[in-house]
Amino acid sequence: MCTVTGIVLFILGVWGIILNKSNLMIILMSIELMLLAVSLLFTINSVYLENIIGQIFVIMIIAIAAAESSIGLAILIAYYRLRGTIAVKSLNFLKG
Amino acid sequence: MYLLIIFITFLSASVTGLFGRKIGTKGAGLFSSICIIISAGVAYYIFYEVVLCGSVVFLKLGKWINTDILIISFGLQFDSLTAIMLVIITSISAMVHIFSLGYMKEDPHIPRFMSYLSLFTFLMIVLVTSDNYLQLFIGWEGVGLCSYLLINFWFTRIQANKAAIKAMLINRVGDMGLILAIFLILKYFGSLEFEILSNIYLEENSKQIIEIICLLLFIATIGKSAQLGLHTWLPDAMEGPTPVSALIHAATMVTAGVFLVIRSAFLFETAPLISILMSVIGGLTAFISATIGLVQNDLKKVIAYSTCSQLGYMVMICGVSYYSVSLFHLVNHAFFKALLFLSAGAIIHAVNDEQDIRKMGGLIKPLPLIFIITMIGALSLMGTPYLTGFYSKDLILELIYGKYIYMLIYWLASMSALLTAFYSMRLIYLVFITNTNIKKEIFIRKQKVSLYIIMALMGLVLGSIFNGFIMKEVLLSNMVTPFINTHTKMIPILFSIVGGVSAFFIYNNFIKYRLYHVLYTFINSAWQFNYLMNHFLTKSLWKFGYYISYKIVDRGVLEIIGPRGLIRVFTKLTKKLSKLQSGNLFNYAFIMIIFVLIYLII
Repeated sequence: MCTVTGIVLFILGVWGIILNKSNLMIILMSIELMLLAVSLLFTINSVYLENIIGQIFVIMIIAIAAAESSIGLAILIAYYRLRGTIAVKSLNFLKG
Repeated sequence: MYLLIIFITFLSASVTGLFGRKIGTKGAGLFSSICIIISAGVAYYIFYEVVLCGSVVFLKLGKWINTDILIISFGLQFDSLTAIMLVIITSISAMVHIFSLGYMKEDPHIPRFMSYLSLFTFLMIVLVTSDNYLQLFIGWEGVGLCSYLLINFWFTRIQANKAAIKAMLINRVGDMGLILAIFLILKYFGSLEFEILSNIYLEENSKQIIEIICLLLFIATIGKSAQLGLHTWLPDAMEGPTPVSALIHAATMVTAGVFLVIRSAFLFETAPLISILMSVIGGLTAFISATIGLVQNDLKKVIAYSTCSQLGYMVMICGVSYYSVSLFHLVNHAFFKALLFLSAGAIIHAVNDEQDIRKMGGLIKPLPLIFIITMIGALSLMGTPYLTGFYSKDLILELIYGKYIYMLIYWLASMSALLTAFYSMRLIYLVFITNTNIKKEIFIRKQKVSLYIIMALMGLVLGSIFNGFIMKEVLLSNMVTPFINTHTKMIPILFSIVGGVSAFFIYNNFIKYRLYHVLYTFINSAWQFNYLMNHFLTKSLWKFGYYISYKIVDRGVLEIIGPRGLIRVFTKLTKKLSKLQSGNLFNYAFIMIIFVLIYLII
């Protein structure tokens, strides 16, 4: 049950990245959601397998997620200063 | 001694060609003439040793191609056929060299001209002295090349260039036949040497293949000897200087085809079908060329068609297996045809390079000597008794008559004898006897004929008068002539006389007896052979070349499946591929996830 929850959360995160066309904040939040889902799965598996390594990983993921979201927000703010908008649609200068 | 004849002509060609600037025009002319005269002397000596003393000479000079299945050596073979050919080639060539000294005096390129003439003589000697087919092929191609070089000797003239290309290409058709025949001979007999081939025992089941080989050899002969079908190059080859026409297109190069047939007699003897074809084609050539010769208005073209006609006689008599008679006619024809051509050259020289016989006439007064010489040539060509032409030409007609299945060819040949007499007399009449059409200042100018020209013509006159009588014993001593009653023997002479006299009669009253206009035009344009070839063969080949092989294959299919098509496909694909990268973040994410999923599934 809990595994299913984790997987559903992860898929929701992915979904949020793909379907989101307007707000860059939501992408960051979706990434956070995916990381949390992964952490949840790690925790569940660690309990289930009675192994501590999973929980150690979860702590490290939380630290990385914090770092990541802080850098992401910083980039976002820098971008906002430059363009005045954070719409995902407007991020299309580089075309193939 | 035997190698000298090859070496000295080669020396003449190379020295005048390479060091022509150093030795000057006069030096080049004299040097090459002396070289050729020496080689003629050597040829007479060879003739004495080989034919009269009966000692055939074989020389092996060294290996050329040496593999397991094929060994070809540079070999020289001096039998009686070769010796007689050598005598003709070198003596005619010597006369032409001497003639050219006078005739080409004002030309700025004498060293080149002499070099080409000598090179031609050299290659012709290579052709006749070779003891295998492949070495013969060197000479065969070589004389074609020299013909090209000499026809467009005045290379600034577009007409000369076109004629030269035509000669080269039409000859090349025949050369294909020869080279295919060589391949077949090699495949089925394993050797190319005449001595080995002529002694091979032929099985019954190899008859078919010999027929094919002979057909291919005959195609080569058609090309080189200007037989019907591929004869159109010969009249066009008159664009070259007159000595060239005399040497190449009368006396020597065109006889190479007949020489090939005589040389391959051992093969043709076992191919009766091809022999019949040969005599039919020869007879038709003789007749058709003679009719064309009737109405040509170009002095040289009349003689060119007469050459065609006489070559037809030679091939025709080869078809009925009288090879020695063919050779005999070849020898005689070389002398009187070279004489006719060279005297035509002298006439053309005298009337300011005018070649149209309608613009001549009355030249008997200013050029009496040339008149006598031309008359001897023409009478000899007509087969007047006791001149050279009589001994071979009438004999050919008699021998054809002796073979009863060839009655059609006999009458064709007899008619062409009549026509030959007619156009010879027409030529004499229009050039020398009738009222003059020349401009007055040319006509009353004191005509000086160069001493060189007189010398060369005198040599050929001697040949034209006495050659037939002398060579008769050499060539025809052991031939059995068929029994023919006297009446039939008289027919050819009668025909000739009728033809000759009627020429005088008709051309005296030319205005009254105006020939039927359409017929005249038709024959004058050579039975429209050029038209037929150009419009049906050449043009359709060109169209094929342009529309099919160039437009459809080369620029079409090959380009579409080749470079152009590939470029088009790949640019389209890459454009589509690069459109994937739209710049939108969510697309990238989507693609990424899709591929991760694919990876996971796999």
